[in-house]
Amino acid sequence: MTTRAAPLLEIRDLAIHRGQWHIQLPELHLAKGELKAITGASGCGKSTLLELIGLVLKPEQLGCYRLGQQDIGQWLQADDQARLADTRAQQLGFVLQSGGLLPFLSVQQNIQLPRRMLGLPLHSDAVAQAVDCLGLKPLLHQQPSQLSIGERQRVAFVRAIAHEPALLLADEPTAALDPPQARRLLELMIELVQGLNMAALLVSHDWALVQDCGLSRLAAQTTAGGSCFVPC
Amino acid sequence: MSPVNARPGMGLLTDLALRDLWHDRKLSLCIVASLVAVIAPLLLLFGLKYGVVSQLRDALLKDSYTLEVRMLGNGQLSQAWLNELAAQPGAAFVVPLTRSLNTQADLVWDSQRFVANAEMIPSAVGDPLLGTVPPPTQANQVVLSASAAQKLGVQKGSTFKLVVMRQLSGQHERGQLEVEVIGILPPEAFSRPAALVHLDLLLAMEDFRDGFRVPMLGLETGTLRPDTPRQYARARLYAKDLDQVSVLADWLSARQIESSTKLREIESVKAINRVLGLIFAVIAWTAAIGCAASLMGAFLANIERKRRDLALLQLLGFRRSAMGCYIMLQALLLTALAFALGYGLYAVGSWIFNQSLAVSLSDTAFVCRLEPVHLALALGSTLALAALVAALGSWRALQIQPAETLRDV
Repeated sequence: MTTRAAPLLEIRDLAIHRGQWHIQLPELHLAKGELKAITGASGCGKSTLLELIGLVLKPEQLGCYRLGQQDIGQWLQADDQARLADTRAQQLGFVLQSGGLLPFLSVQQNIQLPRRMLGLPLHSDAVAQAVDCLGLKPLLHQQPSQLSIGERQRVAFVRAIAHEPALLLADEPTAALDPPQARRLLELMIELVQGLNMAALLVSHDWALVQDCGLSRLAAQTTAGGSCFVPC
Repeated sequence: MSPVNARPGMGLLTDLALRDLWHDRKLSLCIVASLVAVIAPLLLLFGLKYGVVSQLRDALLKDSYTLEVRMLGNGQLSQAWLNELAAQPGAAFVVPLTRSLNTQADLVWDSQRFVANAEMIPSAVGDPLLGTVPPPTQANQVVLSASAAQKLGVQKGSTFKLVVMRQLSGQHERGQLEVEVIGILPPEAFSRPAALVHLDLLLAMEDFRDGFRVPMLGLETGTLRPDTPRQYARARLYAKDLDQVSVLADWLSARQIESSTKLREIESVKAINRVLGLIFAVIAWTAAIGCAASLMGAFLANIERKRRDLALLQLLGFRRSAMGCYIMLQALLLTALAFALGYGLYAVGSWIFNQSLAVSLSDTAFVCRLEPVHLALALGSTLALAALVAALGSWRALQIQPAETLRDV
């Protein structure tokens, strides 16, 4: 460890119960520019794990949670919601399964929201580039309800990276797309995340696609009582 | 990892809250409508309460006739006795009166315009009859009742002759004094032709009729008035409030002086006041509770409906406090709009009341009215109630971890 640069994200001994189901993450390291996929069968707790890492769910057990230089674990233990919210706003970007866009904001306003919240200038080259790459320019003034699911997920992705967070968390960002589209979006995401030197965790049940794109995996090992996520 | 201030400003929160409301404008309007349905009648009710009940009741209660204790018969009252009467805690105003036959005089402008046998009423500072009109401070100053002023055709500042007749040694004598009109009572204050005069003038008139020499009235005939303490026949007496009327009457009765009061009317006014007060209180409380229930229903339903959006905003890093602000802001915006519309309806309703029912009342009276301070209070308490309900609702909504609502977003 001493010879390597400290990882961007370091988590140890994270666990929670969902009903009788025990979800466990013994260890996770993520460096800048690194993407990992969380894979496993439906219902094994992938999304729950992502929510734990995304600081919207309080873990029952936690050894260590460090993001950058910051010990986030102490805030989780203390249930310091204000600091956790600030961390989400500054350091994290989320892509939810069906996009999770605010219905009352246009595409452009949705994309600008994270930057407005942080008081950053509304224009960013990275966002403009992502909008171009993903072909969202003609959609900027539409409402989310006018978009297809694929378009919504592309918008949600741009919104998630708009404030250039340290860590991108995406829950099945390609699930609703047909295979060629899914592949294209995933490749674009990888390219943009690496270009911005962010780290990313993608939940996916399509591990063939994940493997094709050359992502390392965090796979659920399912036993009778729960899942344990380990690298493979 | 610079510690950027992640708290969204009020500007952003307001912008989002407004866009959200506008996006769901049909539902926003439903909420507003349900609030207007309670606010408008409530405003009208309070308008009526203030207008009819308070205003008319106050008019009755403060009416100088209601508070007057009229002493009957002619007594022999000394100045000391009158001082004792004036010192009674319930007495608001006391001024001595001469014997009733001597409280009349003719008011003459010219041979065409005069008032025969006008009532001469002694007045002084604090006379309830005067209202805002200044009292006469000298014997040659009078305040006329509206009907007297009209018959004479005089205005404030005019002068006319006050004429008193007597028979002395078989001769008719005519005493007269040039007096100045320093004020005219409003018509509703006193209906008969009358002049409010300084006590000195009334006493001079009595002396004149008793055959004494009164140079003030322009005659040097008659004998000098003996230097004995003056005795008064009666007094004009007013109580401080309704309850004191019977106290003063009892005080007089204990001194063998009969009096007449408006006690029976007062009792009926009080009874009506009690009944109306109870009716209004019950209706107002029912309506206020209805308003609270309506606010609660509307906002809790709204929060329930918005739960996904709220969870999303939390996910994006909005703090709970900011979310609370957001929810309260929406509640306040909807309530303010509902209040504005409710006020519009109230304005129409009160205009109809005042147009159709106020004809019989004098210019200053009204059936339905709220002062700006009442409106400010109503708005303030409605907003406070809305904020409270929204705060409770948002507190409940935000206890739930955002993850639990995000799955099906």
